This record gives sequence, structure tokens and C-alpha cells, in this order.
Amino acid sequence: MSEACPDLSVRIGSLVLPNPVMTASGTFGYGLEYADICDLSRLGAVVIKAATVAPRVGNRPPRIVETAAGMLNAIGLQNPGADAIIAEKLPELAGFGVPIIANLAGECVDDYVLLADKFAACGHVAALELNISCPNVEGGMAFGVCPEMTAELVGSVRAITDLPLITKLSPNVTDITEIAVAAVTAGSDALSMINTLLGMSIDVRRRRPLLGNATGGLSGPAIRPVAVRCVWQVYDVVDVPIIGSGGIMCVEDALEFIMAGASAVAIGTANFVNPLAGTEILDGLVDYCQSNGIKDISEIVGVAHG
Amino acid sequence: MLSTECELLSNQLVAPDHYVMQILAPEIARASLPGQFVHLRIPRTMDPLLRRPLSVMLADKVHGHLRLLVRAAGRGTEIIVALPSGASVDLLGPLGSPFPMPDEIDGGSDKDVLLVAGGVGVAPLVCLADAMRSLDDTPYIRSMFGASTEDMLVCWTELAARSDEFSVATEDGSAGEEGLITEVLAGQLERGHARVVYGCGPAAMMAEVARMSAEAGVPCYCSFEQRMGCGVGACLSCAIGAAGGGYLRVCKDGPVFNAEQVDWEAIRDE
Repeated sequence: MSEACPDLSVRIGSLVLPNPVMTASGTFGYGLEYADICDLSRLGAVVIKAATVAPRVGNRPPRIVETAAGMLNAIGLQNPGADAIIAEKLPELAGFGVPIIANLAGECVDDYVLLADKFAACGHVAALELNISCPNVEGGMAFGVCPEMTAELVGSVRAITDLPLITKLSPNVTDITEIAVAAVTAGSDALSMINTLLGMSIDVRRRRPLLGNATGGLSGPAIRPVAVRCVWQVYDVVDVPIIGSGGIMCVEDALEFIMAGASAVAIGTANFVNPLAGTEILDGLVDYCQSNGIKDISEIVGVAHG
Repeated sequence: MLSTECELLSNQLVAPDHYVMQILAPEIARASLPGQFVHLRIPRTMDPLLRRPLSVMLADKVHGHLRLLVRAAGRGTEIIVALPSGASVDLLGPLGSPFPMPDEIDGGSDKDVLLVAGGVGVAPLVCLADAMRSLDDTPYIRSMFGASTEDMLVCWTELAARSDEFSVATEDGSAGEEGLITEVLAGQLERGHARVVYGCGPAAMMAEVARMSAEAGVPCYCSFEQRMGCGVGACLSCAIGAAGGGYLRVCKDGPVFNAEQVDWEAIRDE
């Protein structure tokens, strides 16, 4: 290699990730599903599928449908519950040497506190992501659309753990900056944005909703401009790292988010299309930095703001 | 599991909306077991965006060819079946759990194997019959194929050529018995000489095949399709109802299931 390797490391609170490319919760399972095709150890972090206190069976099928340049999903937070994830999934994933971020989904503040406590105690997770923005379960977005509830939730979890806290924001709000400021003021070390956009598709032949849950979350390239706009707006009002996500399929897409103000990116729908999307985007970032004389990726974070 | 860009060797219309795609994919062909599928996408396009799961109809391990039977059922598959020979396709596979072979099933080794196909569901059963033909202890294979009309008996010769006996039923009587293929199955089960039933076709057909097999006390395995995301068990999109509650992943737990694993009521309702 002729050029020096650029510094791609990213700091989130007390956590330093080796590079800014992580997986988006719900799109990469527990990492293990991809282990025989993707070199997990190269990823900046694996954000695991959302964990709830008790097991959840999920929504009735169909749970996925393709739409123009995107897809709707309504999985319904299916997961075996925090205890089973901690006992059966995390030790194996930890063996790959990749930082693990647990995504937590609760129905009330006490749920989030309990989940944070369990994952902090297990010793395998590097950070916690508070999912206050799931559109596919009743009450899943309730916290994420109200600044006061966001602040109460983040503050309550902040009080019981020193692990870096990331709050995952919903785009299904009038002003995302209000929620962002509330989360950061209450102690969130970083923001992850965006979760899916609430959407719907109808089977005109059957004259019924295509998804078993009727509505679902829209993801993929179709939502990227919305996501880039959210990152752009929030970058101006907070001083914590932003993890950008929403339809990132290639390195140019990742660079868009970084230039809008994201310090890291999360790859979601692209994992379904190309299981190697994350590592290919990482390679692309290295190439971009080397070709453009960038020694530290932080040089271009938010650069589009001028 | 491999992710690899492959050449589409030929793409042939075999019935209205049905195509046989022959793909050069030596590693996947060699690794593929009957009942497994490949997850196909067209490289460098976002339309369609997601991969499409397609059953392997035949895996020619010598020449490294895969033959897939594809039904154009929506925008994505319509674009896929329009691909010309020589085009590139990106395959992830082989994926999913295969059919258990008859010797892995406790059904009586002197008895017959029954295959029940409906429409495009013939594909994995051709692959299964082909594999059973090359067993040291080849079972006696009785195959049944049902469709709405004669036109829709897609690739029937592929199944017939690999079966010891072959029956057909069409709903309009244009070929074989007039009626449902499950009526033919009823006659076969009454003979009391079935070791195992393998089925693939529309959900209503498979539900009836499963019910009749259970009633006759014969083990039954069915292969499912469902709208799918990742194909590797991560996203939990391709769920079908499990007997006793909860859901099974078609991509990872299936696509082949023991009929006793499945909540047939929920599948009929979907």
C-alpha cells in the first residue's frame, strides 16, 4: 500500500470503535447468521436485533414486501428475550472479536432500565442502543415522538449504567431536532438515525394490506434522502456523534451521511442484498480517504455544512 | 454458503409465465442438496432491490449447472425472467434445509415414496426424485402432479422421467384425472403402501396433503415459499406459523418442514 492507512476510528462516549461501519439492528440478526460469509471481525460494530425483557413471537406474516427502491417490514420485534440472547447468542458473537452493541426495546421505562442492567452485567456488550422508534409494535414509537418521554427514558437508563448510550431516533416526527436535543441533554452519548419510516402497501388483487400487520417500516434507498436530511439537521444542534443509517448501499451513500454530519454509519437493508455490503463499504472508505489525502475520517464529518 | 456472480446460460419459456433458467454455478451446484434454494439478484440494479428465493430443480454437479424453475409472479420475477442468455446473476446459496432422504425416515423401507406436486412446486420434487434415483437403494417413486390446466403442468416430463409411476390431475380435466391432485393422493394412500409423502405446491394443497398423510399415519414433508429478506435466518421476515405457537423461518428452519412442525390453520388463513 503506497498511502498510509487512514485513521477510521470513531469515539462514542468512552467507547472507541475501530472503524465507522456497523450493522443496523434487525438486519444482521446476532451476527452469527452471517459469520460464514462475512468477516465479522472487520466491522466497526454489530448492533444486534432488538432485545425485549420477555420473548416476543412477532407479527403475523407476511412480514416483508418490496416497494420502489425499498422495502416494508413488520417483524414485530420477534426475539427470544434478553436472558436467552445473553446466554445463547452473545458469548459466540463475542468470540469474533467485534464490538457488540445491544439494541433495547421496552414498553415502559422500567423495561429499558432492566434491559440495560442485564446487558451491562453480561460483560459482552460495548454499548447500548435505546430503540425508542420501532414502528411495528403497539407503543414502540411512543417514547421517540415525545421529547419529555425521551428525556425521562434516557435519563433513567443513564442513571444506572456507565456503558455508552446511543438513542435511536424515529423520523416519524415533526421536528427530529427536539427529540435529539432531549436525548443528548438527558445523557445520551450518541444518536442513531434514522429508524424506518411508517409506511403501507396494499395488494390490489386481494384488496387487503400486503403486510399481516397492515403497516410497516420503510427502509432502503427510498428513504436515504430523508435520513441524510435528518442527520444534517441534527448535526447543527448536538455535539455528540451521530450514527447515520437509511438506505446506505455503497460507499458513496456512506460518504453522504458522513458529510452531512454522521461520525459512523449503520448498514441495514443492504445486508439482505449483499451480505458483504458492510466490509465493501469499509474498503471503499479506506480507498476514498487515501485517494483524497484524508488522514483521519473525522476531517470530513459534517464537511457539507461548509 | 457462497455469494457469487454467475452466467445465465439459457432462459426458456416452458409454460405461460414459467421459465427454466440454466445457470453456470459449479460450486453451488456441487454443494446443493434436494430442497435447498438459491437467493438470486441481478447485480448493479435496484429494481428489483431484494433477492428472490428460487428452488433448485436440478443441480448438474458434473457440468456445474443449476436449473431453476421461475414463475413470473410480480414485478421482481418479471424482470428476472426477462434476462437474456449471457446475463450475470448473483447467487447466494445453497440455502435452507434439504428434504430428508427416505432412509432417514422411519416409514418402512419396503414401501413406496409418494411425491405430490402442484404447479411450480414441481421444481424441488424433481431435484429430490433425481437424488433418490442415484441412491444405492433406490425407492419405488410414485409421483402425482396437479395443476389448473394442462398448460400449467410445467416441466412434467422432468418429474415423470424420474418416477416409477406418474399420475396427473387438472382442475379442468384437460389432462389426466379431472379434479384435485389430492384426490389422486387419497387413492395412493388407501393402498397402504406409502413410506413417506413429499409435497410442494400451493398452501391449500399442502395443507390437505399434510392432513391426509397424518390420517394415514405416513410421515410427510412439505417445502414452503414465503416473502423473504436475507435468506440466512437473520431478518425473520419469511415467517410461517409453527405448530404449538410462534413462527418458523422458511429460509433457515425450512424451506422443507416435517408437516407436524407447521400450523396449517394459520397457513390457510394467510
